[in-house]
Amino acid sequence: MSRKIERLINLTIALLATKRYLTKSEIFRTVEGYEGSPETKERMFERDKDDLRTLGILIDVGSFDPLFGDEAGYRIKSEKYQLNLGEITPTEISLMSLAAQAWQGAALDDVAQSAVLKLSSTGIPADPIDIPGFSPKLSNSTTDLEKISEVIGRSDFLIFNYLAPDLSIQKRMIIPFALSNRSGYWYLSGVDQDIQEIRTFRLDRVSGDFSTQENSEIFEIPEGFENGKPITSTPLGLAVMDVRKGKGDALRNLAISTTDLGEWDQIKVPIYNIDSLGSQVLWHGIDVYVHEPIQLRDYIVEQLEQLVSNHE
Amino acid sequence: MSKNISAPLVRTARLLDLVPYLNTHQGIALKDLASHFEVTNQQMVADLTTLWMCGLPGYTPLELMDLEFESGFVTISNAPTLSKPRSITFKEGVALLLGLDLVASSLPQERTDLMDSIDSLRDRLSTVLGTPIKLSAVSVAPGTITTLIAKMIESKGGLEIEYHSLYRDVVTERTIKPLEVYEAEGHQYLRAFCFFANDYREFRVDRIKQANPTTISADLVNRKNDSGKIAFSIMIKDLSRDVAERFAISGMSIGSSVSLSSYSRQWIERSVMASGATLELIAPAEIRAELAKRARMMLERYKGL
Repeated sequence: MSRKIERLINLTIALLATKRYLTKSEIFRTVEGYEGSPETKERMFERDKDDLRTLGILIDVGSFDPLFGDEAGYRIKSEKYQLNLGEITPTEISLMSLAAQAWQGAALDDVAQSAVLKLSSTGIPADPIDIPGFSPKLSNSTTDLEKISEVIGRSDFLIFNYLAPDLSIQKRMIIPFALSNRSGYWYLSGVDQDIQEIRTFRLDRVSGDFSTQENSEIFEIPEGFENGKPITSTPLGLAVMDVRKGKGDALRNLAISTTDLGEWDQIKVPIYNIDSLGSQVLWHGIDVYVHEPIQLRDYIVEQLEQLVSNHE
Repeated sequence: MSKNISAPLVRTARLLDLVPYLNTHQGIALKDLASHFEVTNQQMVADLTTLWMCGLPGYTPLELMDLEFESGFVTISNAPTLSKPRSITFKEGVALLLGLDLVASSLPQERTDLMDSIDSLRDRLSTVLGTPIKLSAVSVAPGTITTLIAKMIESKGGLEIEYHSLYRDVVTERTIKPLEVYEAEGHQYLRAFCFFANDYREFRVDRIKQANPTTISADLVNRKNDSGKIAFSIMIKDLSRDVAERFAISGMSIGSSVSLSSYSRQWIERSVMASGATLELIAPAEIRAELAKRARMMLERYKGL
């Protein structure tokens, strides 16, 4: 195994050091480790290229030297191989370490640590940030973030089964482009291929594995998308409800206006989904009473009738 | 390195990263080097031996890297090609950007200096990634409160908090002694001794609205507390993702009954109410009767009776 490792390192060094593209035959002749029949060497080289790509090392293919005619040449451009974040300050090193620590025990822990390892090789000392007890942590509701990040990087299709509100399973195919973490949940946004619209999915509602499919078309993020905000920007309407003083905090947080009615307050809440708002109203029981709209009242009345007949 | 990369590739990556690290840490003790790369001394010696064989085509001593490590201290020379750290990968960039966003959202507001550094880093990292991507992460609780909690746990101090309990839906003021912060179901919780309840309590950190340090006086006497877990059972009437998530039930079917328990009676009542027609509370009979009464009362109000 260590011969393969040596060969990969020697190949990397050779392709990095060269000022011009090296042809395959030059590589086979000069780089140590390519042995056997032409077919064997060929296979070795193909696998080595894949392996380096897996490690994030990009091999450039070209034939700009007229001497080589149509034969493809290979090289690794040092500006793509080397860390290129401009001048990094000791404070920035510390901030990136904190960013990596936030992943401790969570999905991208290993990936974050390998980034920190590279940063430590710059030899720039960290300048500790003095905020007592400061250690923000990312929550871990999925182990698939690594795969998802890769798919985002390539703008490929991501296919998965998603749990609908009625617990039925729907197959979704999206081009993902955004990840966000809110109130401890991971959300993935992308362009749903069935409807060609942006949809956001909570990752813990994905059932089973993700699969991917190559996308050869150029993808651009639709305009006007703001990550971490609800996609439905226009509410269906406004609900008017009375909330007892000192109660209904969760609903009050959604309100766009509040009128003092003495023992009660009247609040106006934008509606994005009748069912989920109705459920929230029911959660608050006798402390909330809905005046408008009729659709929300109808939903609540229907649920209450069922609750009564189920429990009496 | 990632879990889905084979062992030889992990090693290749480590060897490539060893060179720039050694370049900036000449004369490092072998054991420190091994622990930095999280491998055994033996593995590190094997890695260095392999690296020793690598270099530019030609592979005469002139082209090979010069490594010295027999004394127990490692130096490197003649390795200009690999001397700079490798670029970060797309995944690493994603991890750093999300982490930085979280750090930014948790910073005390007055640290605008650090915010500026983060903004600059975000720009540079995004440029390196090349592909358009939107990333955001927010801390689940205001930074100042998490910071204060951590400080008080360390100094074993007390806190006066204003807490919004969603189950009982009231905001209460309590004096607590914070013990530990832990994460469950995607939320941060604080385990503390609560002098208001005179018992150990768990608080969701994002529901702590205010927090101020306080000294815990000795005259906070023990009051009796007999809250125990309440067993209850529900019958599924209709399939609902909300219900599955609210009660943490996996694989439910219509007509099946599920036995559960909770410390909070209010939570049981409210959860059943919010679930509407999708389930029926079977037991305890007392809560069931109370629910029926309350639902009827609300229904009558809506019907104008």
